[in-house]
Amino acid sequence: MGSRAFMVLLSHRGAYINPSANAAQLFLTFGQSPFSPVKKKCLVERRNHRTSHNFSTAANSSLEPPNLPRLAETARISLTPDEVEEFAPKMKQVVDWFGQLQAIDLESIEPAMRADTEDDNSRDDLPQIFENREAIIKAMPSYEEPYIKVPKVLNKE
Amino acid sequence: MLSSIQNPRLLRLSTLHQIPLRCLQTSTTPVPTPSSPQPTSQILRIRKSLLSRETTAVEIAKTFLSRLRRTEPQLKSFLYVSPEDGVLKQAEEIDRRIQNNEELGPLAGVLAGVKDNICTSDMPSTAGSKILENYTPPYDATAVKKLRENGAIIVGKTNLDEFGMGSTTEASGYQVTANPWDLSRVPGGSSGGSAAAVSAQQCAVSLGTDTGGSVRQPASFCGVVGLKPTYGRVSRYGLVAYASSLDVIGCLGSSVADTGIVLQAVSGHDKFDATSSKQGIPNFASQFIPKDYLDSKPLKGLRVGVIRETLVDGVDPDVISSLQRSVSHLEDLGCTISEVSFPSFSLGLPAYYILASSESSSNLARYDGVRFGNQVFADELSTLYGDSRAEGFGSEVKLRILMGTYALSAGYYDAYYKRAQQVRTLVQKSFRAALEENDVLISPAAPSVAYKIGEKKNDPLAMYAGDIMTVNVNLAGLPALVLPCGFVEEGSSVLPVGLQMIGAAFDEESLLKIGHIFEQTLQGLLELL
Repeated sequence: MGSRAFMVLLSHRGAYINPSANAAQLFLTFGQSPFSPVKKKCLVERRNHRTSHNFSTAANSSLEPPNLPRLAETARISLTPDEVEEFAPKMKQVVDWFGQLQAIDLESIEPAMRADTEDDNSRDDLPQIFENREAIIKAMPSYEEPYIKVPKVLNKE
Repeated sequence: MLSSIQNPRLLRLSTLHQIPLRCLQTSTTPVPTPSSPQPTSQILRIRKSLLSRETTAVEIAKTFLSRLRRTEPQLKSFLYVSPEDGVLKQAEEIDRRIQNNEELGPLAGVLAGVKDNICTSDMPSTAGSKILENYTPPYDATAVKKLRENGAIIVGKTNLDEFGMGSTTEASGYQVTANPWDLSRVPGGSSGGSAAAVSAQQCAVSLGTDTGGSVRQPASFCGVVGLKPTYGRVSRYGLVAYASSLDVIGCLGSSVADTGIVLQAVSGHDKFDATSSKQGIPNFASQFIPKDYLDSKPLKGLRVGVIRETLVDGVDPDVISSLQRSVSHLEDLGCTISEVSFPSFSLGLPAYYILASSESSSNLARYDGVRFGNQVFADELSTLYGDSRAEGFGSEVKLRILMGTYALSAGYYDAYYKRAQQVRTLVQKSFRAALEENDVLISPAAPSVAYKIGEKKNDPLAMYAGDIMTVNVNLAGLPALVLPCGFVEEGSSVLPVGLQMIGAAFDEESLLKIGHIFEQTLQGLLELL
């Protein structure tokens, strides 16, 4: 990701540019919570917006086109405005193309989960020691025996 | 042998081979004729020369390694190459076993490349993604374990489109692999590195993966043989999951026999993969009859169905002519040819992309920067997720995750995912019906030959359209074999065309038998030219 010169926040008040932003990364967020000041390490703290009260209902009979910021939130990928701009038409194109499945009559066709399967192939539910525990631990970015370290989960307002 | 034809330009770059590889260099050099009643198989030739003490495993390894080193700067097929001393040490061990007349595995001395989305505990496994840069898995994939148990030497990890999502290797997080036949063209994908490596003989065989054609299309573009087994034939334990209901591990080699021998080695039920099949494994290697021992009509009585919807507008006319010539050749071998129609054929493509993106959005949720992979500093957990994933994933992966998230969201599941699964049922039914009337179905492996690097990069639908020949086979879970059947001249380049043969579930045996006979007798035709 290249460097960004400014940060754009979309809120119910409309977009505004934060002059104090010094972000190395830029991402789009939406919400009614106030924007927090930039931290020293040039990463902007992003207010995580819970989707519960801000979604338009998806229960419409007609399919709404993809809402990229919302999808990015669900998929936990921080998209830059450039990316949103780049992806939106591509996604629309592909989703319209997916739409051709709406036109066919699939009444009474059973959905197939995968290719023909055999009977239950599960192994016995018995715990086994995994030999190479050290390699698993070695792969963890932040580990402090016996905890995997992650940043705090902020309380939602 | 047709499938070991190498790019003449690349041959000029490499030094003399120590092993007498069957190469058709140019039309002016004499074509080697069969010297012994051995079917044309590099693995069998290596075995014969080792057991007869004509050469040693160390010499063979050195030849391949030196060729790899020389060609790698231009091809970039490998993301990781095993250190030479480790490879030679394994080769020395094989030589020691030969000296002591100890038993040798069927792949002893065979150098293999492994696609980088298949886990190897002693080599990084990145799945072509920056999010797994330098990640070393704690275990070997079952397929890798089996290769090693059979004596193969793993020479390195090959390049791929990130997480298997792509058809050219242009979506790799690291590098773009070049097609050995024309370095300005794509090798195909996502197993582009595996196909290019075998095509340029940087290794003898390789493992790839096929979710929507990712072994077969690069095999076609690079002029090698690619085998996609039946879903469940080879364990997926240790395969970085893209679309769990579609992924399979496949084999690439310079001959049908080689892919069959590798398939034999890696197949089998695995308790660590609940979708792996308990079907018995026939001796795939037993039907590779040398050409001289074949009857005049060795495929007499075989019913071959040509899929009509694969020979339409939009398919390169030269590809269609290659297919038609292959049909004539099959008729000469005694086959009965008929045409089959798949009305739901074109629906397979959007259905595939819906299913694959949806499943990938779920499978790639594990890459969160917490337990493995690259982590971006953040003060808050969901930012850690969001930023680690944003930095680590390439654009195509992000796009597919977003599409999958969309298709699975509340209110959309019935419209997209469920309908795609219903289309899958239709596709399965069509194949089953067609395979009752025919022993094998054929089509081109791709609608074109290899195109230029950069040509389709910004047009997702154009790139997806190239998968039309292959995705239906994954939806149905059937086995398919792709082998070279002709060439197309484009400008100053000569580019290979691949023929795809599709068989009934778990009937790789028939595919290998037919493919082998087709391949061996086709070369005979070339020798007459």
